[in-house]
Amino acid sequence: MVLDVDDVLDGLDQLSSQRPVAARIVATSNSDSAGAADLATVLGADMALAARVMKLANSAYFGLSGRVTSLQLAVTVVGFNTVRSVATVALAGIDDARHLPDDFWTISVHLAASGGALGPRFQATAADALSLGLLAQLGAALLHQADPDGYADLLASTGLGVERFRAEADRYGICSPQLTGEALARWHFPAAMVDALRAVHAGSEGALLRTAYEMTARLLHPQHRKVTLDRVSDGRMTEAQAPARLMAIRSDVLQLQAALGL
Amino acid sequence: MPTSAPGDVVAAVLHGAAADPGTALLVVELSALGEPAVRWSNAGATELLGRAGSDLQGEPLHGYMSTPEGGSLFAMFRRERPTTTLMTLRTAVGESVACRVRATPAPGGRLWALRVDPAQSELELALRASADAHEQRFKVLAERSPVPTLMSEQGMRLGHVNDALCTLLGVTADKLIGIGWMAYVHPEDLERIAATVLDVLAGEERELEARFLDSAREVRHTDMRFTPLRTPGVGDGFVATLEDVTERRAFEDRLNHQATHDSLTGLPRRSRLWEHVNAAMATPDVGLACMFLDLDNFKVVNDSLGHTAGDALLVEIAHRLIRAVRPGDLVARFGGDEFVVACATSSVDGAIDVANRILRVLSEPVDLNGVEIRPRGSIGVVLRGPDHQSADDLIRDCDIAMYQAKSRGKGRIMVLDESARSAAHDTLILVSDLRQAIEERQITLDYQPIVAYDGQRPQLVSAEALARWRHPRRGSVPADTFVRLAEEHGMVRELSELVLETACRALTEWRVRLGPLAPARVNVNLSALQMSDNLLVQTVQQTLRRCGLHPEQLCVEITESALMMDPDTAATILRELREHGVQVAIDDFGTGYSSMAYLQRLPVSYLKVDRSFVAELEDGRTAVAQAVVSLAHNLGIGVVAEGVETTAQHAMLTEMGCRVMQGFAISAPLPEPSFVEWCRDSFPAAPGALR
Repeated sequence: MVLDVDDVLDGLDQLSSQRPVAARIVATSNSDSAGAADLATVLGADMALAARVMKLANSAYFGLSGRVTSLQLAVTVVGFNTVRSVATVALAGIDDARHLPDDFWTISVHLAASGGALGPRFQATAADALSLGLLAQLGAALLHQADPDGYADLLASTGLGVERFRAEADRYGICSPQLTGEALARWHFPAAMVDALRAVHAGSEGALLRTAYEMTARLLHPQHRKVTLDRVSDGRMTEAQAPARLMAIRSDVLQLQAALGL
Repeated sequence: MPTSAPGDVVAAVLHGAAADPGTALLVVELSALGEPAVRWSNAGATELLGRAGSDLQGEPLHGYMSTPEGGSLFAMFRRERPTTTLMTLRTAVGESVACRVRATPAPGGRLWALRVDPAQSELELALRASADAHEQRFKVLAERSPVPTLMSEQGMRLGHVNDALCTLLGVTADKLIGIGWMAYVHPEDLERIAATVLDVLAGEERELEARFLDSAREVRHTDMRFTPLRTPGVGDGFVATLEDVTERRAFEDRLNHQATHDSLTGLPRRSRLWEHVNAAMATPDVGLACMFLDLDNFKVVNDSLGHTAGDALLVEIAHRLIRAVRPGDLVARFGGDEFVVACATSSVDGAIDVANRILRVLSEPVDLNGVEIRPRGSIGVVLRGPDHQSADDLIRDCDIAMYQAKSRGKGRIMVLDESARSAAHDTLILVSDLRQAIEERQITLDYQPIVAYDGQRPQLVSAEALARWRHPRRGSVPADTFVRLAEEHGMVRELSELVLETACRALTEWRVRLGPLAPARVNVNLSALQMSDNLLVQTVQQTLRRCGLHPEQLCVEITESALMMDPDTAATILRELREHGVQVAIDDFGTGYSSMAYLQRLPVSYLKVDRSFVAELEDGRTAVAQAVVSLAHNLGIGVVAEGVETTAQHAMLTEMGCRVMQGFAISAPLPEPSFVEWCRDSFPAAPGALR
């Protein structure tokens, strides 16, 4: 089956028109000239999103449990990219669990925690890497909606990570993170983020996300057939470093899960 | 004005695009099977690919272009919108070039214009290289800097730490990044750091002192300096540097400890005691008891075994006190042999338990230079009450209670009661009034005649000056009361000088007003404390000179007991006074314990028979008075009987050979004007009698 990417993305655009505040948040956080005060003002117009950002900023994940009292400070603490990601989740309608693949948010939160923990090693800021991980699965949600049965089969027959990307590309002409990249490109996300998603299959720009997928697979699926970290990370990580990182990620996952309420 | 047809404009644009070697353009058509093939290329494209335009015409695109992962090219051809995709180009010489390809659909739905830009132009490469070099320099600087540094990107989550921080805390960077570092912050300082981080995230620069715990859980004291860090489009974080001030702090702590702790016993000094008590009292309703401990007879140890032994005893006592109190209680050395214990308790019984324990451990034997002694102490206990506003109040009250304990027989515990406190308070006010009375010369003198019955007529040989204080509200305050207060509160010298000066001036005046009727000299009482005052002799000399008197016109009286407190020093001072010509009388003789040997060596002019021995004469108890009179005669010194109140006493003393007397039988002490009148009335013209 060749997926009509444009159809899928058009559907997404229609969804986003129903969440104008979320769309404005995404636009504001994309602007270089916008400050935390501007973003907080826009965010304040959507109580649900504002509450989610406040909850996140006050979570143990950021080490400031219960101390962040203003929305502006909350935006400062979690970072623009994280606010944008939270808004994008709403924009894409994927905060509703009804039409999502199994374990969608479990995987997303693991990818976010992995991104946040691994980012600095890949010369990415933790905030960027966290956002990247949190949104990477958007494409998977879209594939699931476009082809529920087929995608369910694909999920059942492939392991998370490189193996699945290949199967997705074979079946749909594009793998799920790449599809996410196309959606984010349409919403004018930073080029670096789009490139990282497009290059998830191969290439140095995709190394961080690829490694995050591998870490997530190892944490969630004990039977996962490991791909060596040295290979997926383009030499940025070694197997020796894995145990400590996995432990840190597991702890971050718990905090993020509680904070995001996902 | 000539105008061009639209077709000419299109042709001009097309020509420009076709000939531009700086921009690579391709027009691609999708076949019925969805395979893209090249329909047109410009000069820039042929240069980039290293192939002639004619060679490219009709060629499948995948022969020259592929996705980095080798997947289908199909994803970039969208009919509704342009796309930008990373691609790899293969040139004629087999080189792979990473490109960014923007595919713009043409209106017909079958053609796309591809603009191919090398992913990184030379300028981009140069800028990137420069940025990388900057970043690398910064990274090396930060990582190799000896200053421990941490950098956050989100809240308290660290993205980077440097080697110096890892060394400081003795852990690897892995354990510190994220929120791992918070586990190494001293738990008591975490809240302050978090509050500071919030200020910093709001754009402020901040400094604070914070403690960290290293991998061995040793405390490291640091000065932290925070700077906000703004990353455009990302948000705010911070950079913090740490200065390890543990050694400096330890040194300061040592200095502070030395300043606030007693070097002998190691116990806190008064200043710490005050801090501790005030801090405890800052919280209303917190139970607090203070105990004042004074060692009984410590001076005996010092005098008999030496100061080294005395010091050893104090050290031992300090150890015992610390052992006796409970955790959280404070033992301070108040000074000398005085200690104060501050206990966190709100019950009198609880405080007394502690005090009992202290007395018990205190009395265990101590071996000092082979001598076994059992220390004893008196303890005054006070419980914090509503009247206690500060440490001053509380410690003052336990001091009062300790004095009560001492006065009731030492070696005991006294809890301050209200009457004792009000008495002590009253005394404090009286002391203050006395100080004022001395300054304002409100202390007046009465004079009691001392008369010799030697010849045919009695002779007024002297007048004893007796200090009087009429308090504005309390009326007359007994002399022994205010003299004792003056002695206890360091006002003896001022009081004595006032009395000496007033008495001497009075004599000078009498000599003018009364002429031969004036007494030959004036007697002034000295306090025991003045027997160790090196300035006494000088003061006496100066006063006599100022008043124009001869030294023999002054007689100083010192009690026998005062004399015996420090006989050697007293002897020295009295000898100097005698050498100068001043008369010296020993007051209340017979009540003390003078050694005959001392008495013989002392340069005494008179003994004064104590009034108690005179009073018992009529009861037939004459032995002591007789003995004193005989002793004086045998030593060749004068004798004066005090307190002569009846003619019978007068007669008996005369019989014993005591010719000089004073007392109510002769005259009560008189205020100055009355005394002058008395002189005139009682001793009309006795020429030459009074020299």
